[in-house]
Amino acid sequence: MAFISSGYDPSSPMKDRITDIGPRKYDEFYPPVISKNKGKWLYHEYLQPGVFVHVAESGDEVYSVRVGGMRLMSIGFLREICEIADKHCGGYLRFTTRNNIEFMVDNKSKVKPLVDDLMSRKQPGGCYKFPVGGTGAGITNIVHTQGWIHCHTPATDASGPVKATMDVLFDDFVNMRLPAHLRVSLACCLNMCGAVHCSDIAILGYHRKPPMLDHEYLDKMCEIPLAIAACPTAAIKPAKMELPGGQKVNSVSVNNERCMFCGNCYTMCPAMPLADDVGDGIVIMAGGKVSNRVHAPKFSKVVVAFLPNEVPRWPTVTATIKKIVEAYAKGANKYERLGEWAERIGWERFFEKCDLEFTHHLIDDFRDPAYFTWRQTTQFKF
Amino acid sequence: MPTVEFGGKTFTVDEDGFIDTFDNWCEEWVQHVKKEEGISELSDEHRKIVNVLQDYYRKNGIAPMVRVLSKVTGYKLKHIYELFPSGPGKGACKMAGLPKPTGCV
Repeated sequence: MAFISSGYDPSSPMKDRITDIGPRKYDEFYPPVISKNKGKWLYHEYLQPGVFVHVAESGDEVYSVRVGGMRLMSIGFLREICEIADKHCGGYLRFTTRNNIEFMVDNKSKVKPLVDDLMSRKQPGGCYKFPVGGTGAGITNIVHTQGWIHCHTPATDASGPVKATMDVLFDDFVNMRLPAHLRVSLACCLNMCGAVHCSDIAILGYHRKPPMLDHEYLDKMCEIPLAIAACPTAAIKPAKMELPGGQKVNSVSVNNERCMFCGNCYTMCPAMPLADDVGDGIVIMAGGKVSNRVHAPKFSKVVVAFLPNEVPRWPTVTATIKKIVEAYAKGANKYERLGEWAERIGWERFFEKCDLEFTHHLIDDFRDPAYFTWRQTTQFKF
Repeated sequence: MPTVEFGGKTFTVDEDGFIDTFDNWCEEWVQHVKKEEGISELSDEHRKIVNVLQDYYRKNGIAPMVRVLSKVTGYKLKHIYELFPSGPGKGACKMAGLPKPTGCV
């Protein structure tokens, strides 16, 4: 396609440059009923999965319909979202912090046509475009990352496993049958972009092989002290290397016995790649939460040390997650989050109920704090 | 890797226009980056920043933190941006021939 200028002049890049204007102010995009009743809401109520109403002091009501979003979406898809908002909601909509889409209407009579319209729209392959759900004690959208779509450090894909997992958990997206809400997150490497460290169930990309060293380019492309300082276990040290041609270069050496394959050094140094097709896979963590309700926020804990990448549907991963969800749904008390349930019954019971294997990989061995995760009591169940 | 020619010299660069190795840095490279970055006139202040970056890199093997660069040159970050519109990383480090900044940038 031919080049079409936006008016930007590359020969004088600072001319007519607008900067530091920030985002648009949020209240420019409020539906009228929201701006009128802001700060004056009395109560809210779930009418059905995915549909809830907020009632204001004035008696005004706003009905919200939450639909699943795939997060990675085309402009064509966004235009369809806008078309729905134009047709039913006066052109207003919002996205949630878990990347669901919410359409808001101000009258109960408008809810059913909106829900029917949303549920009637499907992708050519048969998937719902706008499945209504994601509220209350169910499973809402999966917070996830870039994966093989765009990132250079992933150990697994993001969009693929998320689609596979949500397909398996779809019934819980459109229902509210669980003891409490259950948050699932995914990060494709242990940078943990997103919420894996604080989710009820977390899917995490993991490497199992140390980095490969590209000695010829390492000193040219990398700031060697940064690569050394990037290592949490101090496995990297500076080294002089001799190339096959006899040339001496500055580089690093990796103590493979100390390397735990985090990939931080590759983040800092492009000459230390470590992705591997059979080495890489997925770790499952469980029991985290961010809310302060009843118990303080918790980190999620590793419960499955490794599952292989099985493109394109990750059947072992989805089956393991389903197993945990079912055991939790059966075992936990009302309002009990997954981590609270596991701590109440004891983690040894959690592994038994979820039918997960306990391996030595799950025992913390990272620095002094590891000691506090061991059992310093005789209180346990056989 | 792509190459660029400038002032009769050929440089190997990566896709973001950073030079392949610090050893190939020369005056022509500075002139090439000046053009790329849309800098109209190279002042002594530009030279001072490039020199500070290079001295620090030779001595320490890393690019200086922004606060160190500010403290050593005496230029506030705002002024560094006035000199190098793309900033200290993409602008000044590129001109000084340092490796491309890495990490979550």
